[in-house]
Amino acid sequence: MTDFSETSTAGQATAQIETFYDVMRRQGITRRSFMKYCSLTAAALGLSPAFVPKIAHAMETKPRTPVIWVHGLECTCCSESFIRSAHPLAKDVVLSMISLDYDDTLMAAAGHQAEAALEETIEKYKGNYILAVEGNPPLNEDGMYCIIGGKPFVDQLTHAAKHAKAIISWGACASYGCVQAAKPNPTRATPVHKVITDKPIIKVPGCPPIAEVMTGVITYMLTFDRLPTLDRQGRPAMFYSQRIHDKCYRRPHFDAGQFVETWDDENARKGYCLYKMGCKGPTTYNACSTVRWNEGVSFPIQSGHGCIGCSEDGFWDQGSFYDRVTDLTQFGVEANADMVGLAAAGVVGAGVAAHAAVSALKTAQRKVQDSKKKEEA
Amino acid sequence: MTDNTTLLVGPFNRVEGDLELRLDVQDGRVAAAYANSPLFRGFERIMEGKAPMDALTIVPRICGICSISQSMAAAMALADFAGKTPSPDGAKVAQLLHMVENVSDHLMHFNLFFMPDFARPVYADRPWHGRAVDRFTAAKGSALKRATEARAGLLHIVGLLGGKWPHTLAIQPGGVTRAPSARDKVRLSADLAAFRSYLEEVMFGAPLERFLELETLDQVSGWETGDVALFLSIAQDLSLEGSGLGSGRYLSFGAYPSPNGPVFERGTLVEGASGPLHPEQIVEEISHSWMLGEAAHPSNGMTRPDEEMRDEAYSWCKAPRLAGLTYETGALARQAIDGHPLATALAREGSVRARVLGRVLELARTQVEMERLLASIDPRAPFMRHVKLPSDGEGVGLVEAARGALGHWMRVEGGRVTSYQIIAPTTWNFSPRDERGVPGPVEAALVGAPVRAGEDTPISVQHIVRSFDPCMVCTVH
Repeated sequence: MTDFSETSTAGQATAQIETFYDVMRRQGITRRSFMKYCSLTAAALGLSPAFVPKIAHAMETKPRTPVIWVHGLECTCCSESFIRSAHPLAKDVVLSMISLDYDDTLMAAAGHQAEAALEETIEKYKGNYILAVEGNPPLNEDGMYCIIGGKPFVDQLTHAAKHAKAIISWGACASYGCVQAAKPNPTRATPVHKVITDKPIIKVPGCPPIAEVMTGVITYMLTFDRLPTLDRQGRPAMFYSQRIHDKCYRRPHFDAGQFVETWDDENARKGYCLYKMGCKGPTTYNACSTVRWNEGVSFPIQSGHGCIGCSEDGFWDQGSFYDRVTDLTQFGVEANADMVGLAAAGVVGAGVAAHAAVSALKTAQRKVQDSKKKEEA
Repeated sequence: MTDNTTLLVGPFNRVEGDLELRLDVQDGRVAAAYANSPLFRGFERIMEGKAPMDALTIVPRICGICSISQSMAAAMALADFAGKTPSPDGAKVAQLLHMVENVSDHLMHFNLFFMPDFARPVYADRPWHGRAVDRFTAAKGSALKRATEARAGLLHIVGLLGGKWPHTLAIQPGGVTRAPSARDKVRLSADLAAFRSYLEEVMFGAPLERFLELETLDQVSGWETGDVALFLSIAQDLSLEGSGLGSGRYLSFGAYPSPNGPVFERGTLVEGASGPLHPEQIVEEISHSWMLGEAAHPSNGMTRPDEEMRDEAYSWCKAPRLAGLTYETGALARQAIDGHPLATALAREGSVRARVLGRVLELARTQVEMERLLASIDPRAPFMRHVKLPSDGEGVGLVEAARGALGHWMRVEGGRVTSYQIIAPTTWNFSPRDERGVPGPVEAALVGAPVRAGEDTPISVQHIVRSFDPCMVCTVH
């Protein structure tokens, strides 16, 4: 179900595309850098070193997967994050690999030329390209709140999605709606999966997502030509299966019952737990506390502010961002810590439940893939 | 091309967000221009009914490249509402974060948004074209890579002090949530030093202080090093000093306020004469906007989109006016109002070249200010003050984003936001016509721009539009 190598083979017949390796060499990336990139990729994806030659082989022989990157109702923070990925090498290679066949923030062309470039890319790589969506379509007033080239963005989106082999929903906007969908959602900003229902969609939420998560996901898809394992909400499990709270360096303070009570107290300076300041770490699944931000230097909790849970569905409409996730009064000892997290999850959303379902889902996916292979054989 | 035509230009790429222009063309020149911001999200309405502090999370998400400016304006409006000021050292950290973002935006504009237009085939016969292609071809040029790396390095500062960028949460009305240690200060100064060497090696090709000594247009025209020199030679060849001329009216809310006043002054500049700024004279008109209601000062304003999209209107953007007049805002305005002699001369020119050089000058000046600010931060000082919000009242936050004057006006009743109005820099610059039919600054600057035979997206129009560095996601929000 998640494997789409079949469609890509069909695509190859119609369009002769260079391999990733060809493209990289053309962009001036050395063999040495290429091999280094393959090891980095394996490490970033949590694969053993044995995968390095496999990745290298795939990249030397596979035709490059074209990527079309479109922008709807958004703030462009996802692009901002992406182009600042930690490892300049990884970013360069990924950029050269996908070469953003169409991207209206970074590309050279403008106006009708740009529209023509989009059409040409769709036509040339029919059924073989990945559609990356940043932002979402507003559906009120027939989509008139977001107009691209004289037409509602929702038209561009459905048009570009028609021949895509898979869709990446970048960020909270495309995945869930984000703050622009906050009550009363004036424009009826709608996540991509509620508009496009007949394509595999991978959600990479966060506002924005971490750069390394973005490059990791796209590298995986390009290298292995299939979607990574997803959790029940459609997020790649490799980056969204850890609770911020569980890997938080301030967790010992939570367990010891040491909390910041006001922004200016002594405990804030000491770096105590921010739970009482409204931190949503106990109900948020993301890689912030391990991968961190801006080339790994820090993340919100490390800067003394709680997590707002920006990679969770509906994070924008859960009362004030500074409300505590729960009113539990009994906590502060280790035995209670996870109870706090679980109870809080019940308040904020179905995060934990979704997480619990992941392993079951993985098994189910594997079964689907296995049976598909059997059929093919 | 016939004598009279109408061109619909858009989408514009390499601008933040979406922009569409309607151009009336007569005899090969733009006779009238209409700027449309085709993206509306309704942030002001979303804020209504929310807890006031939630502004700190919601409004920065208006924009992924000037999110700290939005954070700063929200934090200042909240502090004003509470009748407090942030702790002095907390304010310094917040300003350093803000400076880093503004500088990053200028760098991005020059390298990724503005210069790549000169690498287009239309200029293939110009003597500088080869260098422009080599350095600035969109997504490939050698300058772009260095600039993106330098910027990522500089943004370590925001990572370290703010936890993440874009959409930093550390800035609060009472100061910042992160108290930098003495060790952090060393790391931060290393980041600043690295950025200075990038500027000196690549952008300016010389020590920044040498560029800051320039005072006249002749002197700046003689600058011979770095990518700045490449821009100057292109500007001279294409006569960009005569392109996209503005009204000569500028305003600035004053950048980076401190107990001794803002680092870059607040005020207005009208045809070379400086004067005070009276924010109470600001009115947002809506005669040509798809908005319902009356023209109003933002403290009494409202945002009700006209779902009928009536015919006489053409943009979601309101039309802010100061004492009934259009004003240009941005780095050029800021530097000229601050009284830098080169900027004053450039403001008189008011052209595509002047706006770009205004940003270049500000890059150099802000680097020096960031170094000074960091040196003055005392890690032992308090970085946060206690701020308790009252349940009713009003607050105003006026700051300078990279693209110019940004204001937030909030009203709170019973602990809930009842009104939140925002005027962003691009709202000023890309405003539609007002009641008297007077076009906004960009609409006016486009009049007279040459349109070559067969051009459907005139190159001169692109230079002029991009010289304002539009941020369309902020414009309408």
